[in-house]
Amino acid sequence: MNWQSRLELNRRSFLRNSAIGLGGIALSQLACDLAEAKTGTVPQDKLGIPPRQRDGGVRSVNGAIDPLHFPPRARRIIHLCMAGGPSQVESFDEKPVLLERDGQPFPESLTAGQQLAQLQNTPLKARGSFVKFNRHGESGQAISELFPWTARMADRLCIIRSMQTEQINHDPAQAFMNSGSILKGRPSMGSWLTYGLGSESENLPGFVVLVSQTSGGGAQPVSARQWSAGFLPGRYQGVQFQSRGDAVHYVGNPPGVCQSTQRLIVEEINRLNGWRAEQGHDPELATRIAQYEMAFRMQTSLPELADFSGEEARTLEMYGIEEPGDGSFASNCLMARRLAERGVRFIQLYHRGWDHHGEIEKNMPITARETDQAAWALVEDLAARGLLDDTLVIWGGEFGRTPMGQGSGRDHHILAFSIWMTGGGIRTGMTFGATDDFSYQVAENPVTMHDLHATILRLCGIDHSRFSARFQGLDARLTGVEPARVVEEIM
Amino acid sequence: MNLHNLLLAPVVVALVAPAVAARQEGEDVQFNRDVRPILSDKCFYCHGPDPKHREAGLRLDVREEAIDYGAIVSDDWESSLVLERIESDDDDMRMPPPHAHKDLSSEERAMIRRWLSEGAVYQPHWSYTPLVRTQVPQQESQSADGAHPIDAFVNARIDAASVTPVARADAATLVRRLSFDLNGVPPSWEDVRDFSKHPSEAQWEKLVDTMLASPRYGERMATPWLDVARYADTVGYHGDQNQNVWAWRDWVVRAFNENKPFDQFTIEQLAGDQLKNPTIDQLVATCFNRLNMMTREGGAQPGEYLASYTADRVRTVGLAWLGSTMNCAECHDHKFDPIKTRDFYSMGAFFADIRQWGVYHDYEYTPNPDLRGFSNDHPFPPEIRVESEFLKSRIEQLRDESRRVVEAFEFDERTIREWAIGTREYLLENPDGWRVASTYWPGDPPWDDDLLDDGSVRINAKSPSRFELEASGPVVAVRIELLPAHSKGGSIRRDGGTDAFDLNPLIQVLRGEAKDPETVGIHVADANLKSPRYSNGFELTGIASGWRTATRLDQVHTCAVVFANPVELNPDERLIVDLRDNQLAGRVRISTTPVAPVGPEMPWSLDAKGLARRLTAWIDADGDEPPSAEIEIRTAFARSSGKATEILNVLHALDSEIIECRCGRTPVLVTESVNPFVSRVLPRGDWQNETGEVVLPATPGFLPSPPDTDGQHRLDRLDLARWLVSDQNPLTARVVVNRLWRQFLGEGLSPRTDDLGAQGAAPSHPELLDWLACEFRDSGWDVKLIVRLIVTSEVYRRSSATNENLLSADPENLLLTRQRPRRLPAEMVRDNALAIAGLLDTTMGGPPVKPYQPPGYYANLQFPDREYTPSPPRDQFRRGVYMHWQRTFLHPMLANFDAPSREDCVAMRNEANNPQQALTLLNDETFVEAAVALASLSLDEYPGDEAGPRIAMMFRRAVSREPSERELQSLVELGEKLKDVYAGDEDSARQLVATGVSGAGEHHDPRQLAVWTNIARVVLNLHETITRY
Repeated sequence: MNWQSRLELNRRSFLRNSAIGLGGIALSQLACDLAEAKTGTVPQDKLGIPPRQRDGGVRSVNGAIDPLHFPPRARRIIHLCMAGGPSQVESFDEKPVLLERDGQPFPESLTAGQQLAQLQNTPLKARGSFVKFNRHGESGQAISELFPWTARMADRLCIIRSMQTEQINHDPAQAFMNSGSILKGRPSMGSWLTYGLGSESENLPGFVVLVSQTSGGGAQPVSARQWSAGFLPGRYQGVQFQSRGDAVHYVGNPPGVCQSTQRLIVEEINRLNGWRAEQGHDPELATRIAQYEMAFRMQTSLPELADFSGEEARTLEMYGIEEPGDGSFASNCLMARRLAERGVRFIQLYHRGWDHHGEIEKNMPITARETDQAAWALVEDLAARGLLDDTLVIWGGEFGRTPMGQGSGRDHHILAFSIWMTGGGIRTGMTFGATDDFSYQVAENPVTMHDLHATILRLCGIDHSRFSARFQGLDARLTGVEPARVVEEIM
Repeated sequence: MNLHNLLLAPVVVALVAPAVAARQEGEDVQFNRDVRPILSDKCFYCHGPDPKHREAGLRLDVREEAIDYGAIVSDDWESSLVLERIESDDDDMRMPPPHAHKDLSSEERAMIRRWLSEGAVYQPHWSYTPLVRTQVPQQESQSADGAHPIDAFVNARIDAASVTPVARADAATLVRRLSFDLNGVPPSWEDVRDFSKHPSEAQWEKLVDTMLASPRYGERMATPWLDVARYADTVGYHGDQNQNVWAWRDWVVRAFNENKPFDQFTIEQLAGDQLKNPTIDQLVATCFNRLNMMTREGGAQPGEYLASYTADRVRTVGLAWLGSTMNCAECHDHKFDPIKTRDFYSMGAFFADIRQWGVYHDYEYTPNPDLRGFSNDHPFPPEIRVESEFLKSRIEQLRDESRRVVEAFEFDERTIREWAIGTREYLLENPDGWRVASTYWPGDPPWDDDLLDDGSVRINAKSPSRFELEASGPVVAVRIELLPAHSKGGSIRRDGGTDAFDLNPLIQVLRGEAKDPETVGIHVADANLKSPRYSNGFELTGIASGWRTATRLDQVHTCAVVFANPVELNPDERLIVDLRDNQLAGRVRISTTPVAPVGPEMPWSLDAKGLARRLTAWIDADGDEPPSAEIEIRTAFARSSGKATEILNVLHALDSEIIECRCGRTPVLVTESVNPFVSRVLPRGDWQNETGEVVLPATPGFLPSPPDTDGQHRLDRLDLARWLVSDQNPLTARVVVNRLWRQFLGEGLSPRTDDLGAQGAAPSHPELLDWLACEFRDSGWDVKLIVRLIVTSEVYRRSSATNENLLSADPENLLLTRQRPRRLPAEMVRDNALAIAGLLDTTMGGPPVKPYQPPGYYANLQFPDREYTPSPPRDQFRRGVYMHWQRTFLHPMLANFDAPSREDCVAMRNEANNPQQALTLLNDETFVEAAVALASLSLDEYPGDEAGPRIAMMFRRAVSREPSERELQSLVELGEKLKDVYAGDEDSARQLVATGVSGAGEHHDPRQLAVWTNIARVVLNLHETITRY
């Protein structure tokens, strides 16, 4: 018997045996479980598969991994995605030698045979950083003067200077950063995590995405495929909160329909669907009923979520928010904290504005200013509320930028770039990995995207090598088929 | 843990149990059905076809090798190493090793034991064996005239299992099922009622034939093929710009409706251009090869993207025709199927001749001289221009509408007559309708020496290109001619340059007292010669936003600018024509006219002679009563006189739509063949690695080759296409028939319709699948024949309800004892609501339509920036198959109901059930508007006080049945509550019923309509409404 038919049996016996008190919480919970079963993530004992060792293991809420492979350090993740690729040599990777060679031909020994983007077929010249670096905090981490607020929390950060990726154009590089693959139809890490860990929120999606854009130059498009659930069930897809109109598509009532009327309608739909279910025709009905309840809960809870009026003025000031809900990165950071408080598993904030091919001296300070203070405020706010301990915050782009100049800017660079992480079991006040004198190649402790994924999963209590889903006959993993390393040194 | 162990340590979370249960008690073990799934899932990863990951030199997928190794001992099966290792208690000995997390269940171990005991018989993988017609089983229980062959196969197994299948579904359910399955729309109540009265075999067949003949059939059948072919209206990468491909979508719909044989369907799409004297349609079909994602991102590497385009085509052909996951062989030999990396790249080599660019732009760092001057707005060549039935009939429709607008307007006959007399006088003086400017500058022009006899003016670098014309009287349009400047070898360009140049004509009026001129609004501006200009993939119509000359500079260029409203000038007033941005025209002649051009498409053409003749005949007509003016005269009056402004805007709006029809022609991406590039195996898929072996086009080595492979001539796409549908290839017929089965029965005979390889699932009825596949192939690949066969079978007509007995006897429905209920696919969820509401527009084909979409959804799209403009009301209610498909941001309604983004080929859509679907049906403008329209229909039909009949009508339309007593009662009570809500709140009622653009229900009391709109929302949201049982 396969799982689908077992499920059908389960549902049927449920429909036969349950008193018809439709609309109750118990029902909705059960139906939710059924919904998961339909999509292949039902806790395994429901499928007649012997439950795994339960005692001692940490349970996930309703995820596919139960129990978790390791005690988790992080329960949720906030990914501040600096889309476009920030320059490492103007942020976290100080390179005096590069500065000395400013304007001189770039060593060919380094670049021979390497992939280039817009610098294809052009002479390569070194370009030194246009900003100063200073040491900050007790840890004395080197951070550029473009990030004064980030510098204040130097002792909270783990800076990784040895990130590497495989994709040199934005679209595939973002796909690689999110899904560990450039193949289409692969789930992004937010989907993997909600799939594996389940959701802790009854009325919000487990994976939420917000997007902001720079007022300066350097914005690149970002595609909804970046938060796609791929071959995983659609409920694990990231839900983009909109900056215009309804926060979630179709979450607002139709004009002229108030909330109490909407409730009447939903109740009536579920009453009629419930009667239909009594006739035993279609096991999908129980799920449908539960989804209408969930939809109505979302309708009720979203306005409260988006209502920032309860936030203190000094909080808004701390984030640097001019107008709450204005779609700025700062406002999105505050929203991220509110989502984290409400149990959303994976929160991804894109800021489109780091693709500084030209006029980097003019534009990078703008983008840095737009993100620096709010990122700091978010971390401090989480810390003040006791959330930082089990919230992993990641700051970084899909790649870095060339130490070679491209006119007045820098091209894409995949061999070495910098990110930072904090919270959720990450060691603080440390810098990990190093690049060569030019920030061209990683000199020590390389961290690939797959290593980063493996580390994130590990912090969430998951062994990446044992976390897979069947797709086209293969056991697909976030970390792919090549070996990936959990970077234990930073944990 | 070493590297190897790490690779072998997955937890399979998605639960796909091997099909052990498929075997009935007492049947012999069949390798393909019972054993291969176990070995494939648990053993082949290390002991299978891929030599790179093979452990201990053992492969278990080939019997001889397993025996040579001693893994299987054929004459003493109990001493087989396989048995020893799988049954070992020792963790170090047991296979699969514990760290692989691939443990065998006790049933699986028992199955392997039994198979070994029966002689360890292997079978070639079922789908790779030659396709041989199977015998239809004889059935004792059937009547003399013989059972339906499908039922004979299915019932043979059911009888053997002594199970009783469920009965036939009731008549209403059957009609509804058939209507959704064949036409994708709900049945009419009349069809349901008629068939319920006479549910005979003959009536069923009649119904089937009617629906097969309906144009809706092609639209319904197209959707799965569009998924497989990854059809979308945008290119998918980076800026995700538009691509012109909809003519191909119309071709697909037509092909299904015309029942184009599937072999032709195959050949034309893959290689229509390589046929002898291909028809235009056959060229359009080759757009299939161009539906891969494309990029024009700055800094993208042409080599990388060319490799990715090729891989995409291999994947698509692999999935669409071979039901094979060839993509697994891009980096390594397939782990489970005998597909080698070489096969992947040899297949790719078939497509190496397709004219394409890695990056569709001409960047400095990646130059493409062919694409000189390209921008993010340019199309994705090569394209051809083809006629479109939709556009041609749309033009006719719009012209008819224009005519009706004029006919319906009440003209003041006296005013027309005055206008006619004046106009006739003008036309006598200016027979071609245009009056050439007499001066180009008031007073002393700075260059009057250059005013020539033909009324043109020669201009030089110092002359202003801003002219002030004396043009008293009415002016409707201005004509600008660029004439050859004699001094420059007949070129219209003054400096002798050879490139096209830009002008940007601005028309203004300088009134007597005003200091600043006022700009004249433009209705239409176009030129007889111009270079194309583009906006996000589409050629801009007209020249209102700028005019770039053609590159043939020796020809007279003529443009005309028609005003939004006719202008009346006094003698002291000036008409200003400013060519702007231009210092390159050598000689210009400007004319004006008080007569509007006949049509919007060639505004420089006035038909002045025709008009003069008509006016004369009318004015001079004899008789007691003056005849009223004929339609042509009234049209000319409305457009020219400035005295029929009430309808002028309407006519102009229709003109604009006519212009957008582009004379009935559209560009479409096609395949053009050029010299093939060298194809290599890319080691580990790395496009920069040029060390791989050079490969020539070849079909996969594990399947029989095309018959005419002589090793001498290079195989081409035509060879590939012909091979796919040849007798040598055992896969295509099985794959297609299996997909069709899924479409009508809910699951394929082999359930993984996207993988008929080793990791797929063995078919539950292999003989039936092969029989159907043979029937398909031998009938000349007749799709309608197979569809008809399936839907006339008893298996298809079974109820989807089930019972206790079957749940234990046939829990997985492997015996096909019942139908499967399914939620409608995304497009049909929408079509269905619109049809129920009476809004569905069944116009076929044409450019993609854009239903309302939440605002700002494209905010993160760039290059160029995007703003979604919903289609005008005329195209708001078209079928979902015609919706604009934006790959990176698919319409949220479609995405919520699991429509794929079509970045890649998809043979099985997800079928989720999530809160977003509820939110869509509850709140999306389209569905609310449908509720308003349905409410309005119910009030139209049952205007009395009684609620019951209206509710019943909604049920009949939405779920093809009458409501039950308690359903009726419950909705009546809901209605009472809603009455209280809206009785004192007319504002809210008005807001609700004003949703959308259909204008439905405007004649009803908004409060009553609001109540019924909400009741209709309940009905449209029912699970039953969006489910096909």
